[in-house]
Amino acid sequence: MGRWTLGATRALGDVSIWRPLVIGHMRRLGVDSIPIAIFIAIFTGIVLALLASYIFTGAMPLYMVGALVGKTVMMELGPVLTGMALAGRVGANIAAEIGTMRVTEQVDALETLGYDPRSYLVVPRVVAATLMFPVITAFAVAVGVLAGWVTSVNLLDLSSVEFLKGLRLFYHFKDLWFGLVKSASFGAAIALMGSLRGLAARGGAEGVGEATTRAVVLGCEAILVLDAFWAVVLL
Amino acid sequence: MKRRNEFLVGLAVLAALFLVVAGALWLSEADLNQKEATYTARFRTVEGLQVGNPVTLRGVRVGKVVGIRLVPNGWVETEFSIDRDARLPAKPAVIAASASLFGGWAANIISFEPLPDDPNVRAALVESDQAGGAAWPGATLPDIGQLTAQASRIASDIASVTQRVQGAFDSAALRQLRQSVLDMAAISNRLVTFANSQTGRLDRVSGNLVTTSDAFAGVTRSLDRAVARVDSATSQNQLREIMNNGRDASGDIRQASADFRQLMATMRANDASLVRVLQSADSLLTRLQAGNGTLGKLATDSTLYYETAATMRQFRELLADIQAHPKKYIKVSVF
Repeated sequence: MGRWTLGATRALGDVSIWRPLVIGHMRRLGVDSIPIAIFIAIFTGIVLALLASYIFTGAMPLYMVGALVGKTVMMELGPVLTGMALAGRVGANIAAEIGTMRVTEQVDALETLGYDPRSYLVVPRVVAATLMFPVITAFAVAVGVLAGWVTSVNLLDLSSVEFLKGLRLFYHFKDLWFGLVKSASFGAAIALMGSLRGLAARGGAEGVGEATTRAVVLGCEAILVLDAFWAVVLL
Repeated sequence: MKRRNEFLVGLAVLAALFLVVAGALWLSEADLNQKEATYTARFRTVEGLQVGNPVTLRGVRVGKVVGIRLVPNGWVETEFSIDRDARLPAKPAVIAASASLFGGWAANIISFEPLPDDPNVRAALVESDQAGGAAWPGATLPDIGQLTAQASRIASDIASVTQRVQGAFDSAALRQLRQSVLDMAAISNRLVTFANSQTGRLDRVSGNLVTTSDAFAGVTRSLDRAVARVDSATSQNQLREIMNNGRDASGDIRQASADFRQLMATMRANDASLVRVLQSADSLLTRLQAGNGTLGKLATDSTLYYETAATMRQFRELLADIQAHPKKYIKVSVF
């Protein structure tokens, strides 16, 4: 895997090959994933607000709901839940696509023509995922906080002023960029795992299915490992 | 298709960028219109005060903490962004204090004069003010955690004292206390009985005292009569004569005493002269003894004695010769 990653890194130098392909992948892997990310964020915000109210009622002032929703969505649940969801959608998509190309010998054809399949298939996907995951996460965070705010005002005995007081009370700019940096690393990891398992697919459809499954599992594991890594390094 | 992809991707990226930037500015309450001014305060320690914490003036939020940095000489400088419309005291000071039980801190702007009553805060503000510079003086109140820890220690002490009191007043101690009270009651009853019995005796003693007093009165009357008799005895001027003689003797004694006192005064006046005479005599005798002066030499030098004796002998022979041959020495002629 290390040797493979090194090869993919070397393929970054073939800018003329992968650059025209990036926008298309950004659209398919990023823009098309925004609705699912928003869907997840809405319910995450709602549940977090209700959960915080349940925990804090009688013990702490309710404006702490805003602090909990903001901190949690920005730093943890926004990037991680979005990453998990996209590990299924994007990782599976990449693994299935490249795996199919592998089992149908399209990758072999590229190699025969002198193209590096990593420059042509892996790098544009990894770059696109790395660039678009923070974008998706930004939407998810905004929608998640908004959902928590609306829930607090409509379902809980909490005013907008109190929610915003809690939201701003413990806010630091680091909360925001910490989540975005994490999500970029999640995107790169998911795209790398999908590409790795896709290129390693063998056999027919069964091999592609297995590669897809393993790509999703590895992507989720990579997210959890990276999440802990960034927490240790940046917090 | 490619155009559409580029449009959608660009739109998504720009929208996300806007969300991030706008959200960050909104949440951090950034001052884009320059409606706030920046001030600095100096603390020894800021405890839990952090960037973003509110700054209040008389309880109203007027700004926030925008920077905290260590500076030389053991100070911490804190920057505040404060609403320009807020009317600050003429000489402001800042007290950093815990704002809630949940770790939130706030910087409260107060007037430096008059200084707060708390001696620790007062000392911290004065020390910070004396450091000079444009920074406002600052002081930090203890964290709520420290206060609760102190309260916890006090509560533990009270519990300990309570336990000790409880241990001291166990059931046995209470029984003993009850017995002591009963004993005190018995002693009190005995004292009452004793006092009643002694009251009769005291009454008798009082009666005796009255009788004695009457007897003394009789004695006094007898004495009066004796004095009257003595008085009648003096009617023949015997006592008066004795008294006159005594008065005369007293006058003589007084006169003798005055003479004696005068004599003593004279002696005391001559005392100094006598001392001087004695000192001179002593000095003279000392010189004589040492053989100094003519008298000393006369007293100590035997040569002079022998010379004088020889002279006297020759003088005696001369007198004898003059008596024997007067004409040899005396010639009398009238013309």
